[in-house]
Amino acid sequence: MPDAPALAWWTVRARARRGTTADVSTLARQAWLLAKNDLRQELRDLELVLTAAFFTLVVLVMFALAFAALPAADQTLAVPGMLWLAVAFVGALTLTRIFDREREADTLRALLTWPVERTAIYFAKLIVSFAVVFGCTALLLPALALLFPGASAFFERPGESFLLLALGCIAYCSVGTLFAAGLATASGKNVLLSVILYPLTSPALIFALVATRALLEGHPSFGTYLGQLAALDVVVVAVAAWLFEPVLVGGTAKPRTDRGPRRSAEGASR
Amino acid sequence: MKRHLPTALFLLAVPMFIYSVQRIFLNTPIESKMGTVQKIFYFHVPLAWIMMALGVACGIAAGIQLRRHSKLAEATSIACAELVLVTGLGVLITGPIWGHATWGRAWTWDARQVSTGLLWIVFAAYVLVRRYGAAGSDRLAAALAIFGAIDVPIIYYAVKIWKTTHPTTDVVGSLPSQMWNSLWVALVALVAMAVALLVTRIRQEMNAIALDDAWIAFDERTRAHGGSGGAA
Amino acid sequence: MSFEEPADDQYEPVTGKDAQTVKCVRACEAEAAAKTASDYEHVVWAYGVIWALFCGFGVLLWMRSKRQEADLAELKRRLSP
Repeated sequence: MPDAPALAWWTVRARARRGTTADVSTLARQAWLLAKNDLRQELRDLELVLTAAFFTLVVLVMFALAFAALPAADQTLAVPGMLWLAVAFVGALTLTRIFDREREADTLRALLTWPVERTAIYFAKLIVSFAVVFGCTALLLPALALLFPGASAFFERPGESFLLLALGCIAYCSVGTLFAAGLATASGKNVLLSVILYPLTSPALIFALVATRALLEGHPSFGTYLGQLAALDVVVVAVAAWLFEPVLVGGTAKPRTDRGPRRSAEGASR
Repeated sequence: MKRHLPTALFLLAVPMFIYSVQRIFLNTPIESKMGTVQKIFYFHVPLAWIMMALGVACGIAAGIQLRRHSKLAEATSIACAELVLVTGLGVLITGPIWGHATWGRAWTWDARQVSTGLLWIVFAAYVLVRRYGAAGSDRLAAALAIFGAIDVPIIYYAVKIWKTTHPTTDVVGSLPSQMWNSLWVALVALVAMAVALLVTRIRQEMNAIALDDAWIAFDERTRAHGGSGGAA
Repeated sequence: MSFEEPADDQYEPVTGKDAQTVKCVRACEAEAAAKTASDYEHVVWAYGVIWALFCGFGVLLWMRSKRQEADLAELKRRLSP
């Protein structure tokens, strides 16, 4: 019986059409097909969803233990930070696991050789990681409200909270997908993901933090902050999607000094 | 001529430093609100400018490296990142020293301080990935540098978007001309020093890449000749 | 020789030298002096840090350059038996 991921990719290949130009509808269709396959696979054994959800609860319990001694008013001030730190931790875990799976089955390198738009691969992975992380926030918010009464303000403005969480998770996952994919080569070191991910996502997290505090306090500038977060999202997703192909192609176990045909010309002129 | 560029720049920087210190402390009036400690500003602000410029340069060089597979761009990227760390450390230390004397608090968690610290951490991550990354991670590091360069304007606009305790950017605009000129002098001195170190480091990195290539060619040749080259 | 007392209108009153005012003025001067001294200390630290960082980086570059020269010498040695 062929390997399930490999079978899935063959199905995708049979259905996806090669676009020589970056046709948006082709891109969207390919991305959606790839993402659907991943999600369908995930729904089969629920490994990622369950472990991420459990990890969310664990992180929250750690926060509750750490900040239990604070007075209630201070705990409310800490709620935005706890929310977004939990998202950051769960996001790092999810991305590591998604691409570990790729590395184990070596499907990433195989996928890169097939006639699928590279950017479609990026968006597919982004959709999957976003789905898992955003899904965990559905668990995170009620648990936060249970542990810290100040967080119940999220439920008073559910539409805005939903939008805020979605935008924040998109920003985080878009950066993370790029770098987790880049590190998913055979010799990639996972520890570098944490080194890279937290500094790079911190501007997005800061914007999200400010917006969250504005939401909790009922500040009038919340809309502005949300708009800024949305603008940051657009920039980050665009740059990450654009960088996906250069980072991955040629990044798979090629020695650094292999400069290709230019080396012989340089060697002759030296 | 090009060979001696770093030396020429060092020889320019040293007297400029001496002149700028003399000018700052003897010829520039003392600022009325903050007193003598405001003199730190003449080095702190140019250093911050240099840090941001180098951050953007690192990102641009990384972009060129990804597009054209250029060795020089790669060396420039690494050198710029390391100098961002050095100048960033300077900014992050002199800023709190100034803040401690002026406002009594070294680290006030305001937006610009935080953003500068984050920029420093991003480029520290870049240097770490370059050093400890696996074989293909130079492209990954380049992507990191590009994101870092995008972070630089966020620093500049953070002061406008959030209310902060940091002196607003208008401080530099509303200086009397004597102070402005002292600032330019200090800027020239610091830029000369930074560029000299940058060019030296770029040359060093190009040599390192060439040495790497040479060693690999040597090893391959030895292996091709059946290990007769005595390579241990 | 007799001492002639000056007329009443030739005296100029001395102002500002009573104990209270003098103490006040001395306190202000002491505060200003302390601030200036503290300011200079901060300035020296700040400038010293900047120069130390540049020198430190220069030393690092020099050390790396020595290592590269040794590496190159080793390669040359191996190439010319």
